[in-house]
Amino acid sequence: MTLLAHAIAASPPAALPHDGLRGRPLAWSEAGDLGLWSTEWAPDIKLERPDALEHHRLVERICAAQPCLPVRFGTAFATPDDARASLDKRSAALHEALARVAGKSELALTLLWREPSAVAGIPSVTGPGRQYMEIRRAEFAARGARRARADALVEEVIAELSIERPLVWHETCTSDGVAVSLAVLVPTERAGERKSQLEQIAARFADVIPVLNGPWPPYTFARTE
Amino acid sequence: MKELTAEDTSLLELVDRLLNKGVVLAGEATISVAGVDLIYLGLNVVLAAVETVDKAQERRRAS
Repeated sequence: MTLLAHAIAASPPAALPHDGLRGRPLAWSEAGDLGLWSTEWAPDIKLERPDALEHHRLVERICAAQPCLPVRFGTAFATPDDARASLDKRSAALHEALARVAGKSELALTLLWREPSAVAGIPSVTGPGRQYMEIRRAEFAARGARRARADALVEEVIAELSIERPLVWHETCTSDGVAVSLAVLVPTERAGERKSQLEQIAARFADVIPVLNGPWPPYTFARTE
Repeated sequence: MKELTAEDTSLLELVDRLLNKGVVLAGEATISVAGVDLIYLGLNVVLAAVETVDKAQERRRAS
């Protein structure tokens, strides 16, 4: 029997419904004072897109019942002993991460550029080689300007939100359309209030379209490495 | 290329977290090699998905 991992929590386990992914049994494998919530799986069953979303709902359910660390989707163990051994190896780091995210949720803010990148200021030059270089230079300048603007947007969000930097994760310009992908870790009981604040802050930016999600389990802040 | 809608973005952000964030446990096995691709098929947004699938393939090769 394979175990498909969902989340790590401190023992004792919360009382949860016994249904895991696709209605298969939800299992608790204990290692010292930690444990792993997982679904009893069969290695020949392929994971599909709805399973990822169901994993998310399961992790949400577990996190609502007790502080937990979401495990990366698709992680499986051949036996409960393998799962326990894996927890044992990282026990100290897992405890530290659990303490960091206990009682907290993640809000996700994505800022999409409202307009495609415009390359301007290409001087009219003679010769295809020179023209190519001028276009490349203009494109480089446009990318640099966008990156600088995205960085400024992040700084403004952090300042306006008055939040400590370790509680914020962000990436900028991950693709042509995305200016900022940002996550903040907030106390679960204040998630609604913080989400409204984020919404108000992001609405003031004229050049981007804000997309706000969450509260979610603290996926981004559960890393132990 | 398809323009990202708010709905696409929300789904991509969530799927990105499920596949790229969270605790990475030592000694794990990732079941269903095709899983990542199946998750992204149907999104019709190549943009971020390609990057993530590439990264997942690199991870698989490295492990």
